[in-house]
Amino acid sequence: MTVFHFFNCAILTFGPHAVYYSATPLSEYDTLGTSIKAALVYLGTALVKLVCLATFLNVSENDNFDPSQELLKALIGFIDVAGLYFALTQLTHRNISQNHKFQAIGLGWAFADSVLHRLAPLWVGARGLEFTWDFILQGIEANANLVFSISLAALGSLMWLRKNKPKTLIPIIYACAGIVATMPSITSYLRRSLGWHFPKVVGFELFTSLMMAIISWQLFSACQRPSSA
Amino acid sequence: MTLSLTRQVVEVSASKALLLSSFTLYSLSTQTLDRAPAVMASRKQGHREVLESMYSVIVLVFMLVACVELGDAASAVDVYRLIQYDISGVPLGSRFASLNHHASSMHFSPGVDLTRTVLVIPIRELDLGFVKVLLMVLSSDHYILWWILQYPVYFAFEDDNVNTIPADIKRNDASGQQATATAGGFKLVVSAAEPKKVASPVITNIQGWLSGSKTDGDTNQLPTIAIRGSSWEWCCGAVALLEIARLFSILYSNPRTRGRYNLLFGLTSGGPYNYNGTHKLWLGSFDQRLRETIDYAICLNSIGSWDNELYVHVSKPPENAYIRQIFEDISSVAEELGVKVGLKHKKINISNSRVAWEHEQFSRHRMTAATLSEPSVAPGLLERAGGLSDGRHFVNENSVARIVKLVAESLGRHIYGYQGKNIEIFDDGSSLAINPSYIGSWLDLLSQTPRVAPFLLKNDPFVMALKKELTDHTDEVIVQTEVLDGMFTFYDSTKAILNVYQVASVTFDLLLLLVLGSYLIVLFSFLVIVTRGLDLISLFRRPSSRKIKTA
Repeated sequence: MTVFHFFNCAILTFGPHAVYYSATPLSEYDTLGTSIKAALVYLGTALVKLVCLATFLNVSENDNFDPSQELLKALIGFIDVAGLYFALTQLTHRNISQNHKFQAIGLGWAFADSVLHRLAPLWVGARGLEFTWDFILQGIEANANLVFSISLAALGSLMWLRKNKPKTLIPIIYACAGIVATMPSITSYLRRSLGWHFPKVVGFELFTSLMMAIISWQLFSACQRPSSA
Repeated sequence: MTLSLTRQVVEVSASKALLLSSFTLYSLSTQTLDRAPAVMASRKQGHREVLESMYSVIVLVFMLVACVELGDAASAVDVYRLIQYDISGVPLGSRFASLNHHASSMHFSPGVDLTRTVLVIPIRELDLGFVKVLLMVLSSDHYILWWILQYPVYFAFEDDNVNTIPADIKRNDASGQQATATAGGFKLVVSAAEPKKVASPVITNIQGWLSGSKTDGDTNQLPTIAIRGSSWEWCCGAVALLEIARLFSILYSNPRTRGRYNLLFGLTSGGPYNYNGTHKLWLGSFDQRLRETIDYAICLNSIGSWDNELYVHVSKPPENAYIRQIFEDISSVAEELGVKVGLKHKKINISNSRVAWEHEQFSRHRMTAATLSEPSVAPGLLERAGGLSDGRHFVNENSVARIVKLVAESLGRHIYGYQGKNIEIFDDGSSLAINPSYIGSWLDLLSQTPRVAPFLLKNDPFVMALKKELTDHTDEVIVQTEVLDGMFTFYDSTKAILNVYQVASVTFDLLLLLVLGSYLIVLFSFLVIVTRGLDLISLFRRPSSRKIKTA
């Protein structure tokens, strides 16, 4: 029963990544290499973040929201953005269109994030006898995270790879990118300061991820129109 | 909530360990650079340094492993197993220890299959007749001991944490769902090793000696009165004994009030096991002169809760002068206290090895002895052996206090020669008053400690506490231990931890799989339509165009 439950939660957590890869044209253009490179960049970014966290942060035992600590964590979170910038711009990819590049990088990024943060608790916890809803919620959170990563990658590619953007849209792009990048801080604020329970936080994440996805899709297509026109 | 905190802790501790290992490596590298000239030494150094760097990596691995939550039960409860023992080779008690079944309460629907379930029953709801049919658990302690049960039986103390479990189980059963592998519910797991025989169960006796005063020129030994209480099986005798010891130590501490009797206090064990502690160990250790000087012995038994009637049990005939004197002492004080005391005489049956009262052990060694107790008949073997019925609420500290007053007054009048006179030595309100809070606190301690004799080791803190208390009140304390052999063999694994898990049913997992499968299929089709939507429509159009071509 319990290995069954682990299998279920694993499907929920990692299935959408595989589905995304196979359903969209990414599989046709064989962008697996890009995704893998993005995953490796994420690993490096995560290590750098760990070192920074260890150096600058002191872990408090209670669950309270400490503004200075959270600010520090948000700043360290921007290392994520730097990593994404590196993956988008500095790495050499095969000749794939921009459209697919950001999707592949976002996918690889999200997959590495899920594996790193969610596989170990799943393996140890979901195989036990006790049943909790936590792992299912974690899987839903992984889905929301996938959408977030792809949106961030889209906004990032808009910011750094596309040179001719409509002037009016630029602040919106940067604002959305800022929101998505600080998503972890926002969720921890909700969880600790406002005392939201895990299901509520996951619901909020899902909702905002869908919103962000729609907004970034609109922005992307809006920015694409001048070049096509 | 815990997951995210765990994640944070993992991250920070992992990063700290990473820092540590990186610093170690860095320092190691600088060290090797410095020691370049000495090749041989550096090679050994290098080995050591490689080992040290390995240690930090191993530490990192352990920390990561430890940070991930390993315990996952809804609650873990301390439980105590029903005792398992053999009498002369006949196996009795509960024979098994480990447990891994679904839980059920007494309110299950009839016709349900109860094999491989665990019944969780609060003691209050036990019904002897019904349970006899099921052969599971019985209502009063001493009956259980005579059954051989092929099932593990565990007892747990009630507290808020534990009480929610039967309530939840009842709710589950009331909804008609039977807790098996297919439906959800609770699963109880006790992982205990196979019970093994306790190799040499020891029993411990503590004895305290309070010397009387000898006037100069008195060559004879002073007579001795022995008082005996059992600390292991009946809680009250020991507490009464401690209080009497305390009162007499106050009296004896002053040379002017020291009586002309020695007092010997004995806390013995092995009571239900045929009073083995008293017989072999304690009395056997007395040498002949001591035995001759003992005037009489009083044993305290089952004095925890009684109304107004007590019995003095003797084995010598009541016409005996000594017995008459003891009885008169006690009954004169009892009259003043408003207590009725009766005398019961039971002859010793020498051929029967079973001993009914403790004083019989004394009588076998030719010492005058009596037992003061509440029941009028002797308890059966192992009856009232403590355990469930030994609860704190069954014992009244006022009754213990009254017994103490009774015994202490009668002893005091005997020692100081005030028999028949209307003088109260241990008057309430004086410095020699009985202290109910002292009695109460010792009763609390004794009722909370599991005290089955074979499982108490020599250095048990409980034994040490009793020894220290007696040392405070008496001049000399001796602790004796002996291996309990003979009729009884005990098995270990008495205490275990019960893990209660809330499990989901298989149908839930299957349902979840179905939901997830459909979600993924929907996601796949959505993405295909969104990203390659035009291709799909053209896919549908192509066959029709082909048809037109062929036609």
